[in-house]
Amino acid sequence: MIQIKDLKKVYSGVIVVNIPQLEIQKGESIGLVGNNGAGKTTLFRTILDLIRPEAGEVLSNNEPVAGHENWKNYTASYLDEGFLIDYLTPEEYFYFIGGLHQQTRVHVDDFLAGYADFFNGEILKKGKYIRDLSKGNQTKVGITSCLLQQPEFLMLDEPFANIDPTTQFRLKNILKEVNKKGMTTLVSSHDLNHITDVCDRILLMEKGKIIKDMATNSSTLAELEQYFAIGDVTAPKVSAEPIVDKEENH
Amino acid sequence: MISTFFKHELKAFWRSKNTGKNLAIRIIMAVLILYLFLNMLVVGFFMDTVLKKVFPHDALIFSFCGIILIYYLSELFSRLQLQELPTLRVQPYLQLPIKRNSIVGYLALTALFSVFNLWPIILFFPFIFKVILHDAGGLVALAFIISILGISIFNNYLALYIKRKSNLNGWIFLIVAAVLVLIGLSDFMWHIISIRNISYLFFGNLINHPVLALVPVLLGAGMYYLNFLYLKQNLYLEELSTKKEKYKSSTEFPILNSFGATGDLVANEIKLILRNKRPRSALIMSLFFLLYGLIFYANPGMKNSDAPRVFVGMFMTGFFIINYGQFMYSWQASHFDGLMVSKISFTNFLKGKYLLFTTVSTLAFILTTPYVYFGWRILMIHFVMYLWNLGVTANIVLYFANRNAKRIDLSKGASFNWEGVGATQLMLSFLLLLPPFVIYVPLKFLGYPNLAFALMAAIGVIGVFTRSYWIKTLEADFYQRKFTITEGFRNK
Repeated sequence: MIQIKDLKKVYSGVIVVNIPQLEIQKGESIGLVGNNGAGKTTLFRTILDLIRPEAGEVLSNNEPVAGHENWKNYTASYLDEGFLIDYLTPEEYFYFIGGLHQQTRVHVDDFLAGYADFFNGEILKKGKYIRDLSKGNQTKVGITSCLLQQPEFLMLDEPFANIDPTTQFRLKNILKEVNKKGMTTLVSSHDLNHITDVCDRILLMEKGKIIKDMATNSSTLAELEQYFAIGDVTAPKVSAEPIVDKEENH
Repeated sequence: MISTFFKHELKAFWRSKNTGKNLAIRIIMAVLILYLFLNMLVVGFFMDTVLKKVFPHDALIFSFCGIILIYYLSELFSRLQLQELPTLRVQPYLQLPIKRNSIVGYLALTALFSVFNLWPIILFFPFIFKVILHDAGGLVALAFIISILGISIFNNYLALYIKRKSNLNGWIFLIVAAVLVLIGLSDFMWHIISIRNISYLFFGNLINHPVLALVPVLLGAGMYYLNFLYLKQNLYLEELSTKKEKYKSSTEFPILNSFGATGDLVANEIKLILRNKRPRSALIMSLFFLLYGLIFYANPGMKNSDAPRVFVGMFMTGFFIINYGQFMYSWQASHFDGLMVSKISFTNFLKGKYLLFTTVSTLAFILTTPYVYFGWRILMIHFVMYLWNLGVTANIVLYFANRNAKRIDLSKGASFNWEGVGATQLMLSFLLLLPPFVIYVPLKFLGYPNLAFALMAAIGVIGVFTRSYWIKTLEADFYQRKFTITEGFRNK
């Protein structure tokens, strides 16, 4: 589905994404984890042809995303509020997105009816523009508009942030379900529990590189927790020396 | 504490993205402000001569006293429209251990840093020093100075108070504006009252009783205190900033449905224009410019010359294309990423822009048809310029849109808003206005003015019929710059 070759992105002398080789197969569900500044969002943006990489390329269905528009037909993504047209009401936005995929209003209404629980009565027919919604509710609109497009490839950047616990569980079920139906998903998150629960394959990014690429099994969560718990000393040492971590300090 | 706030404020000003990284804009703004300032200074300095000319039968001091109140009424009117409320900037301090009194005091004090408070000083003080000091002595001059400062402060806080109130209820603004207009009309149109006499009633007595200067001071202090109290009681973010929540309904434009995906894009853009402050004022401005013709056509001196008609015709039928188009695609900056990854081909995106331009220009042309009252030739010229705008102006505007990567915050007003203005926009307006005259002027001097119009119409029509070619060219050009544009739009 997605092939990344020798991808490199540099911001003011610092390499923020550096991926020599990455392949995403059709039907995989991939979780992307990493601390702030690891390059997750930049990677997303390069896959979506929103920023120009210094080197390398991203292929979607064997066609470079740069300079082509075919990938837009089967790719849906929500990275941040910049993907929403904020002066529209949620209904108008859904109709617009549906219309781009030749869906009638009736079709869109039908689809949205299935998301009544997910919306929890706070999105539709509230007489608000998207800009007046809370951040969590905006995320819901973004995710739903992605699903509405029935894409082959779905990309979500930190979808679990900002939404309430109930919606988080619902979203997990939705992601599992669409993946079962054959949708390829690429989801980033800081919530290790959620990501290991939802995804079959975890990519761990650090300073632009994918340092771990593993299939999810019973020990994955523990492994990730161990990686992220660096510097967290269970018995705090009283010492004048700062704790230097070897991995962070190469 | 207040000095810390003030330091932060200065930093906010110098570090804000809009505080011209662009030197050209800064210089132009400085020159404009300086020009206004100098004009005012000259008027202030020669106030006595001006007053003698305008009111030759009245005593100098009488006419001076008479105009002060008139000035302040009109100042209040323009303050209501232009003066900005110092509000939301307090947000980061509200939850910190800072006394509410100092936050409110700061808010109320910074309101004094407005250009409006400078005008009366420039305008009236020279006269006070030149005439009143000479005629009536130092004490009276001092009383005048204190009174004028007092009324300025009163006016300042009155305007802010009304603005704050009308933020909660839009009717208040309309009522106050109507009252001001009625006061103006009842003096100058209906002659029921005389503002000049009322003004003289106070300032005339001030000459005999300088103690009266305390009245404006008390008024100013009272108004300040009223503002202070109001702010203190309402120092909650939602009450200071947002307007009353109204149910926002979804709208549809059935006519646009027949245009498919392009129609959807245009429908969205129309909503963008109607639902956001700044593009809405761009639209309202273009409606105002439809009256532009009256200035020229009703002027007997220009009755038989075509040159202003070319200019006016171009402006009236194309003002929206120029004024709204010069900031393309910045209007959509906040969701440009979303547009780029959606299933929208750039061809359709461009077609949408052309459709929007065509719709609004056609509307503008239809609205200008009553100018036929001034002669059929005017209508003909309007039509030629309408074709020119659709065939040429639209293309130039979109070409420059590809070169614009400045983000615009839609929610801010348009007046004195330099956000998103760059060298591109300045060059653009120049490039748009020049070509029609390059065609018209030489042919006119050779004696073929009608040939010039035929030529312009032809170029316009050719431009319209070759649109698919322009769309292709613009699309290829866009992909050269796509990343610069998306990057720029992401920069808040």
